[in-house]
Amino acid sequence: MDRRAFIKIGGALTIGTVLGQGFQFYQAVADSKGEKTSALAKNKWGMLIDLNKCDAGCTACVDACRKENNVPLFGDKERDIHWIRKASVKQKFPNAREQSVPLLCNHCENPACVQVCPTMASFVRKDGIVLVDKHRCIGCRYCMIACPYKARSFVFKETHDWTNKDVPKRMHGVVEKCDLCVHRIDKGQKPACVEACANANNGAMVFGDLNDPESGISKLIANNAVQQIRADLGLKPKVYYIGM
Amino acid sequence: MKIQFTTIEGKSFQFYAILVILSILAAAGLYASYRMFEGGHYITGMTNQVPWGFPIVMAVYLIGLSAGSLVLSSLSSVFGKKEYKVFSRVAVYLAALLLMAGLMSITLDWGRPDRLMIPFTYFNFNSMFSWNAFLYSAYIGICVVYLMAMFAEKEKLVTFIGAVAVIWAVAVHSGTGAIFGFIHARELYHSPLLAPSFIAAALSSGTGLMILILLGTFKFTNRPLDNRLILGLSKLLSGFILIVLYFIFIENLTRFYAFGLREAEHYYLFEGLHSKVFWIGLILTGSIIPAAILFFPKTNKSIPWIALASFMVVIGVLAERYIIVIPAQTYPLDQFPGKEVSSVFLDGAYANYLISLPEAAQAVGIVAIVGIMFILGLKLLELLPTEAVIHDTEKK
Repeated sequence: MDRRAFIKIGGALTIGTVLGQGFQFYQAVADSKGEKTSALAKNKWGMLIDLNKCDAGCTACVDACRKENNVPLFGDKERDIHWIRKASVKQKFPNAREQSVPLLCNHCENPACVQVCPTMASFVRKDGIVLVDKHRCIGCRYCMIACPYKARSFVFKETHDWTNKDVPKRMHGVVEKCDLCVHRIDKGQKPACVEACANANNGAMVFGDLNDPESGISKLIANNAVQQIRADLGLKPKVYYIGM
Repeated sequence: MKIQFTTIEGKSFQFYAILVILSILAAAGLYASYRMFEGGHYITGMTNQVPWGFPIVMAVYLIGLSAGSLVLSSLSSVFGKKEYKVFSRVAVYLAALLLMAGLMSITLDWGRPDRLMIPFTYFNFNSMFSWNAFLYSAYIGICVVYLMAMFAEKEKLVTFIGAVAVIWAVAVHSGTGAIFGFIHARELYHSPLLAPSFIAAALSSGTGLMILILLGTFKFTNRPLDNRLILGLSKLLSGFILIVLYFIFIENLTRFYAFGLREAEHYYLFEGLHSKVFWIGLILTGSIIPAAILFFPKTNKSIPWIALASFMVVIGVLAERYIIVIPAQTYPLDQFPGKEVSSVFLDGAYANYLISLPEAAQAVGIVAIVGIMFILGLKLLELLPTEAVIHDTEKK
C-alpha cells in the first residue's frame, strides 16, 4: 500500500467514524427528549412477600416460574438459570433461626442494570417493570456485574425447552431475568409465582399497584414494618418484605 | 539531522515463518471464539457468578497497552523530547492495533458478537460502555489521522494531533477504569482511584512493551539502535512502576481501614488463586523485581537487564488487570449485610474462576493478530527509521 492509498482509506474511515458517532449522538439526544415529554403510566407494579407465611420447604413459586417461563436447569449449578430462587438467610449468631427468603428481580426504580446497559436492551417499562429486549441484548453481561441482587442469568447454553408457547423461545448468548410474567400482567393476571403461592395456601406473595393507595399491596406496605433488600444502595427496589 | 523512515524488506525466511506461526495461532483463537458464539459460553470458565472472565481481563490490558503506547508516541511532538521521534510512528501504529485488539477481545466475548453494530446505533448516556464505544472509535480515527500527519511530515499538525491524542488516550483509559470504578454494587470495584491507576498501569505497561518492541524490531532488521534511547525509556518505566505501586498501596489501605470492607479486603489480598496472582504476579514479578533492576546501578545500564525488567512489567500489569476484574466477582454480593446466605443459585458463596482453554486460545489468537498486523505494517508502511541514534547536536 502506498502512502496515498493509505491516506485515502484512512481518511474515509475517519470521516465515517465521525459521521456515525455524530448521528448516534443526535439520535440519543432526540430519544431522551421524547421520553421526558411523554406521560407517566398509571400503574407501578410491585410485590410484597410476607416471610412469616413463607414455608421453608415449599418451592411452589420457583416451580411455577420454571413452568410458566420455561426456565431450564442445565444440571450445572454455576450456569443454571434462576428467575426466582429461595435463599436461606440467618444471622451470624449462635442458634440463629434460618429464614427462607424468595429472591427475584426487584424491578428497581433506579435499576443499576439499566444504567449500565450500552444498547438500552435493559429498560424500564412505563408501568415500572424492568425488561430485557433479547433481540437487542448483545450479551456483554455488564448488567450482571452491576446488579447487586444477582437477579440476572446469562444463557450459557442452547436449550429447546419451550412448553409454554405464551413466552418467546429462549436464545443463548443473552441475559435474562424475572419479567414479573409481563405476558400475564398484560392479560390482567397475576405473576405465576404469586398465583402458585396462593394456591399452595400460603398467600405469602402479594402483587399489585403501588401507585394505587387503595390496592392490597399499598395498604399492607402502609401498615406493616416492611423492608427492601439493600435499600441503602438507593436503587428503590419494588419488592418489599415483611418479617425479614 | 532528518530521520529517514523506510519499510522493511520482509522477504526473508524468518519473516514468512513468523507470519505462518502467528496465522496458525490467530486461526486457533478465532475458532475458539466461534465455538463460544455458536455453542454458548458454557465451554468457558465463566459462570453466572463470574460473568466476566479472561477476555475482559485481556481487553482492559490491551487497551491499557494502547493508551500507554499512544502517550509515548507524543513524547517527541508534544513534550519536546525530540530524540524519541524515532519510534513515534511505530508507537501510534501499535496503539491503533492494540486498541482494535482490545475491542476484538470485548466483542468476541459477547454472547451475540453478530450484533456488533447495535452499540453504535443506540447510545445510553449513563453507560460507560456506550461512552467507550464512542471514545474507542474516535481514538482509532485519531490514530489514523495522527499517522497520516506523520507520514506527510507536517510538524505543526503532528504536534496538535499529538496533544489531542494524549488527552484522548487519558480519556479512553479513564473510561475503561470507570467501567469498573463506577460499579457501586460491588465494594471491590467501586473506587474513584481505578481511573487514575488504570492510566498509571497503561503508562508502565506501554513503556515496557515499547522497550521490548524497539529492541526486537531493530535487532531483527539489523538497524542501529542507540542504547541511550532505551536507557531514557527505562528511567520513565522505573517511575511509572512506583506510581502503580503507590495507587495499589493507597487503595488497599483505604479499604482495609474500613471495618465493613475488611472481610472483602482480606479475601482480596490473602485468599484464593487471585491473591497469588496479586503477590507473585503483580507485586513481586511486576513491581519489586523490575524496580530493583531499574534502580540498582549494576543492572540499570545493561540492556538485557532492562529488557528483562520490561518483560516482567508487561506480565505484571496483566496480573494487575486480572486481580482488578476477577476477585470483585468471585467475592459474593452482600445482599444481606451481616447475615449468612445460601441458595441453589450460590448466593453468598465464594465463586471459583479458572481460565479455560477457549479463553486462553482466544487471547493468544488476538495477540497473534496484533503481531501479524504489526509486521505487515512494518513491511507496507514507512514506520521504522533506518537508524535510531541520538545525535549530540540534537540534544539540548
